[in-house]
Amino acid sequence: MRILLEKLIVNYPYFFAVILFVIGVLTVLTRSNLFKKLLGINIMESAVFILFIAAGNIRGGTDPILDTSKPEAVYINPLPSALMLTGIVVSVSVTAFALSLIIRLYREYGTADARQIAQMRNSALKAADQAGRDNYRHPDRSNGKRGDKNDRSNQI
Amino acid sequence: MGNGVTKMTEAIKFNLPVFVVIAPLFIAIVLPVFARRIRLAEGMVIFVGVLGLAGALFLAHIVLDRNSGTWIYQMGGWPAPWGIELTVGNLAASFLLVVMGVSLPVSLFAVGNLTHEVGGKQRTARFYTLFLLLVGALAGMALTNDIFNTYVLVEVATLSCCGLVSSRRHPRAAEAAFTYLMLATLGSALVLCGIGFIYTITGHLNMGFASQALNEIWQTKRHVVWMAMSLVFVGFAVKSALFPLHVWLPDAHSSAPSPASAILSGLAIKGYMICLLKFFYSVFGPGLIKEFAMDRLLVLAGMIAIIAGSVMAIPQDDLKRRLAFSTVGQAGYIFLGFGLMNKDGLAGALFYLASHAVIKSTLFLSAGAMISATKKRKISELAGVGRRMPVTMAAFTAASLGLIGIPLFSGFIGKWYLITGSIEAGSFLPTVVIIAGSVLCATYLFPVIRVAWFESAPKEPQKAAAQETGDAAVQRETAEVQEGPVQHGQLKDPGILQKLALVLLTVAIIVLGTVPGPLLELAKRAAAELLVLR
Amino acid sequence: MRDFILKRVAALILPFVCVYGFYVIFHGHISPGGSFAGGIIVGLSFIAFSTIYGIEKGRAKLSEDVLTWTESFGTLWYGIMGMVGIFKGVPFLANKLAGIDLGLPGELFSSGLISYIGLGVGIRVASTMITIFFTLMEDEE
Repeated sequence: MRILLEKLIVNYPYFFAVILFVIGVLTVLTRSNLFKKLLGINIMESAVFILFIAAGNIRGGTDPILDTSKPEAVYINPLPSALMLTGIVVSVSVTAFALSLIIRLYREYGTADARQIAQMRNSALKAADQAGRDNYRHPDRSNGKRGDKNDRSNQI
Repeated sequence: MGNGVTKMTEAIKFNLPVFVVIAPLFIAIVLPVFARRIRLAEGMVIFVGVLGLAGALFLAHIVLDRNSGTWIYQMGGWPAPWGIELTVGNLAASFLLVVMGVSLPVSLFAVGNLTHEVGGKQRTARFYTLFLLLVGALAGMALTNDIFNTYVLVEVATLSCCGLVSSRRHPRAAEAAFTYLMLATLGSALVLCGIGFIYTITGHLNMGFASQALNEIWQTKRHVVWMAMSLVFVGFAVKSALFPLHVWLPDAHSSAPSPASAILSGLAIKGYMICLLKFFYSVFGPGLIKEFAMDRLLVLAGMIAIIAGSVMAIPQDDLKRRLAFSTVGQAGYIFLGFGLMNKDGLAGALFYLASHAVIKSTLFLSAGAMISATKKRKISELAGVGRRMPVTMAAFTAASLGLIGIPLFSGFIGKWYLITGSIEAGSFLPTVVIIAGSVLCATYLFPVIRVAWFESAPKEPQKAAAQETGDAAVQRETAEVQEGPVQHGQLKDPGILQKLALVLLTVAIIVLGTVPGPLLELAKRAAAELLVLR
Repeated sequence: MRDFILKRVAALILPFVCVYGFYVIFHGHISPGGSFAGGIIVGLSFIAFSTIYGIEKGRAKLSEDVLTWTESFGTLWYGIMGMVGIFKGVPFLANKLAGIDLGLPGELFSSGLISYIGLGVGIRVASTMITIFFTLMEDEE
């Protein structure tokens, strides 16, 4: 137990990264507001960045920039930071793209709440379906309801 | 002069692996400049497709000729632990062939057909940009031998997939794209975590070196390895729509434009499966898969996906949704094959992956042709389409027979190898599930064929009911199928290029089913290569 | 946005911000930062200009066509620089192998093709950032 606690304290960045990651995932999966989902994604990605950068860190190391006056210096590993720069670029593009989608949805439905959007869409679909059914009957059409149910379960 | 030409061909041959990846990427980036001259842009897309297919065929030829060993290309001339490597092995060559072979007909189908579906020349150019980015990323996934490079390519593919889904001006498409984006980013964050753990304990990003290091130290770092493995598995499972994590797929694939649905269902999820395969077999290795019981998990998840996906496809009345759910089911076969851990099963999975890529693109393209001709999305409203659009419906029928697994069509061979593999693995249940999956597949595809060929068309064309109810929201929902010029009574096959695309794909299905030779050989060799214990 | 002080201060500062962005791009190989960070700074100078002086003025400075061209050009530049290696008969993106003088470590011109590639990336990043900003702003209206 004591060893475990010691390990936890020594490796605290990993611990916090995991906590942040879980917060992010929880936000993405449980919030119905699209902006909050996006925030969750960003928190989650930051957690991964912290994880990587912590992996590259060396206690007492200096920045990985060549300094000829200090030949004995220990440099931290620059590779994870460089990798995370790529990760940040990806995260920026994801954020921008998601924002433009949210704006599109907001202009269309007047709300940025996933649940309300799904409700509006389903009721519209049902009305269209009903109208179509009145117009034209076909034996293969009896399964429409189950399709609707599937539809709703697709919302996260 | 002659010396210069030979020098140039030598240079092209030497750099072919990198050309196959960067040609689509760079052409994609240049395309927005030609947005006003959409014909030129389309010509460039097809040109790149033809070049890519030629390159892929040439690489496959080299790999088949060489018979052993892989061709390693070092980016920038840096050797392995520091530089990024592209490897042209059996697995890479076969998947590259699939990517290029499917993307060329899909781009042929898209040409000239897209402007009214997407809306505007600018948006069409953007569509092709995303399309080529996706193709380049998939080619990169096939070739790369670097873990982090895989992640970057996965992200490029994910973002372009989301862009393709949202390329239609329709709120439903934007919603589907948002859901897809969120879940796909979740998946890639999980994969990135897994990569982080692998890098932390091994210090390598090259697959070969990481594998070596992992197999030396895994006993001391048991939990970390297990965690990395699970993270990678769940991440790629979200992205390739393994059954309980498939929730984004039906919406995304059914609300994209038809060529996009074809390439999303046919190729994009396969790319993530290939990545999973590379991570599991080339990084962790067969020994670790067995140790952490991932093989049993893959088989179980595959079996559940086959049954659940197929059962969910049956009640769908929307044609594209039915096909999308069918993709969930068919993905199960490939995961099942990945988990069988023997040569036949793995070769079967790889061949089934190729055959499903071809078949599902054919299905989506012909469905798209039918939908854009009739302006109807429901299966029950497609009565009598077969007689009016014989080529389209013939392609659809051939692809359906292939998906069900009738002999002489490509799906049969994949299923055959999967069954022999599962018998070799000593478990009887996968065999039963594979056959049951075929029956279920017939259950959801035969009604379409019956309605389209054998039912007479309704007497009078239906007016859209939405306009009568006057509900704005309803109109918005139904407006989706009413876009473009509505021409009643002009039901006929699509244009010559579209027909050419469908015929090419149908020929591919039948050729793969009758003379599977080279591709099956590549798949078998790749399977043997992957299963080597390190 | 009719703020006198803001406009004057922006007019004084923004050119230097832009130049600083290019400084960061060119010193990417010997100091922290690099083409992505520098490109963001260049892009931010234009974004700040558009927010302070209004979207129309920003658009007048950089029209959509120009942005499309620079975006494509930035990436194409990367491709061309990568091709230098291929023309010399060595792999894609080769630097020292392609016979390019690398200079002394720590000096400005000490990385061969890397700084030229960085310029392309920086231009690309800057124009992408501006495009994203304009797209989002114009969607709102």
